[in-house]
Amino acid sequence: MNFPVSSQDDAGQALQKYSEWDGSTYYGRAQLKSAPFENLVVGGYIFLAGLSGSAAILAALADLAGGKSAASLVRRGRYLGLLAPVIGSALLVYDLHTPKRFYNMLRVAKSTSPMSIGTWILVSFSASVGLSAAAQAASDFWPQQRWSGWTARVFGVPAAIAGMGMSTYTASLLAATSTPLWAAAPQALAVRFGASSMAAAASALSLGEPSDGIRPKLDAITGVALATEAVAAMVLHEAYGKMGVRDALDSPSGRLEKAGATQLGVVLPLGLLAVSALAGRHRRGGLSGLAALAVLAGSAMLRVSVMGAGDVSAERPDVSFRFTQPRNMPRR
Amino acid sequence: MPVFEGRVTIVQESRFQAIDDHGVAQLFLLSPRAAAEPGQLASLAKTQARVRVRFSSAHNVIGYLAHCIDVRDEGAARVRKEISS
Amino acid sequence: MNFHPRTLEHTQSDLDHVIPNESELTAGTLIEPGKSYGFFTDTTVCIGCKACEVACKEWNNLPADNLGMTGQSFDNTGALSANTWRHVAFVEKKGGCGVRADIETPYQSGWLMMSDVCKHCHNAPCLEACPTGALFKTEFDTVVVQQDICNGCGYCVPACPFGVVDLSANDGKAHKCTLCYDRLKGGLEPACAKSCPTDSIQFGELEILQARAQERVEHLHQRGVTDAYLYGTPGAPGSTGGLGHLNAFFLLTDRPEVYNLPVAPTRPANRVKPSLISGLAAVAGLALAATIVLASQERR
Repeated sequence: MNFPVSSQDDAGQALQKYSEWDGSTYYGRAQLKSAPFENLVVGGYIFLAGLSGSAAILAALADLAGGKSAASLVRRGRYLGLLAPVIGSALLVYDLHTPKRFYNMLRVAKSTSPMSIGTWILVSFSASVGLSAAAQAASDFWPQQRWSGWTARVFGVPAAIAGMGMSTYTASLLAATSTPLWAAAPQALAVRFGASSMAAAASALSLGEPSDGIRPKLDAITGVALATEAVAAMVLHEAYGKMGVRDALDSPSGRLEKAGATQLGVVLPLGLLAVSALAGRHRRGGLSGLAALAVLAGSAMLRVSVMGAGDVSAERPDVSFRFTQPRNMPRR
Repeated sequence: MPVFEGRVTIVQESRFQAIDDHGVAQLFLLSPRAAAEPGQLASLAKTQARVRVRFSSAHNVIGYLAHCIDVRDEGAARVRKEISS
Repeated sequence: MNFHPRTLEHTQSDLDHVIPNESELTAGTLIEPGKSYGFFTDTTVCIGCKACEVACKEWNNLPADNLGMTGQSFDNTGALSANTWRHVAFVEKKGGCGVRADIETPYQSGWLMMSDVCKHCHNAPCLEACPTGALFKTEFDTVVVQQDICNGCGYCVPACPFGVVDLSANDGKAHKCTLCYDRLKGGLEPACAKSCPTDSIQFGELEILQARAQERVEHLHQRGVTDAYLYGTPGAPGSTGGLGHLNAFFLLTDRPEVYNLPVAPTRPANRVKPSLISGLAAVAGLALAATIVLASQERR
């Protein structure tokens, strides 16, 4: 016990002098309140947001750079982009505790609140991807006319830009809280979520891909995204240890993160894709399909497990107190 | 759904207290699905309006969840006070 | 028109005027919009009577909750919640081997009591997180949830570094201490501070309170209570990591964790930019890689 008396001390330096926390808590009661979100609902939204956002990016890129053989990929990418506006936003409204006031989200725009930033990203994404998909549908039904193809392409660009936000802002949503596990490593979590979104979208699109020329390309994109996610996951776990929040992973959600998100969602599909690339043309369809399903399941489990493990970290005072020790203060 | 009838005596945000004809006071919380908005409650307490409340049990509190509020009469607490004084 | 006689008791709460210098008489301060107000909670004189808890519930018409006993000293309230905006913590300090210490230093050093409350942070994380603007800074520099706007998204709950804000499972809105916003507007001292019999809870203008608290710490040090320190004043534990000072601050005599308070909480909004930028950079990188792959010549 040697807290300084002077109120003029610089907090960052003065706090470094403090003796280490001896592990005492207030009757083991939670120091924080865990988020009142339904993890399956909000986790499901985060998954769909990432999937749709990245699908819109891939559709726009394939449209601009993929050539004629990518036509199916472009079309399905635009339709896949509708998942977040249609199902995702319904999930968000469902999770509100006073759903009839959902429109109050549109009262303000705040740069300090990722939920407000996300609301506007979702609004602009919904508008652009909706128009792009509608134009796509028009050219599917009436292939003779030309304007719809151009409309789909034009609105595909803002959809892709908003899709970048959709793929990753949800990590900021979690990181900008006081829940220790979410706040421990904002950058690594964002990279992990973004890479998982891209892998999920490339996998989902490869599942229905008719062109044998495009499918290996989607597999390659999945592979690059999974490798990025693997690195981000390693950095993230390193940070969990350093910030003293790793104990929160010693929970059902933590085990889901390890077995579901990392092993099933990243390690297994990376292996399958490697084997498929080596095996060549004949075995390719089956293995890459299996990998795609694993990636999608893992991407969904990643979001749900991170939500759950975050709740555990907020409810355990030992985790939250270790996280708020002065040595974890941001450096200036 | 059970029904309570009485006069509104206290209002704070979306919580209100009402006293029935036997002098028993109950505390109600406005349900998120109720048509009434918290802003409409304050005037009920000012005049001690008589209301009929359809309610259900509330979670983990001594109080009830108000789903539907019918104003039976507007009340006239002020008028009555002036007469009695 | 029938009125039960008990309704008469309540007509007095609707006064047609307020006593102009009421807060000056009870708290020694005038309440004027535009100035910063807060609480100084001096735990060395708290006697654990819970008058603050009761006064808060009475004034704000909050329902009793968490019925039952916890077995945790005299604390059957447990924690701050949507229906409990003041919470008196009780800590029975032990000596060696799990038994109570038989030698005690001055000022309730063996049995700590502390009336916890919303800190009304300078850079309030709940307010910064709120996507609807329901949470706002009042003209008294306090933080309040507007019940007619809150849509119960619940994002302020994990945002709070002190575990204060709570979502009511009943009315589906976020609730917390308003620092008696309605009373301040009427020139009245907040209910908890007014009811505190030992002046452990002091309401007033923030700068005056901070100076008074500093004096109190120095006084306690002279009297031999060398453990006394402030929590939540500028530069002290609690007001760290970009949170700024806390408008409700405390005088403590043990580590903050003992009272269920964090030593060095941080401001969540500071994490928005780094995470957004790195996430977007990662996705942009992957999009670039995808472009290269998609534009490449087909292998067969």
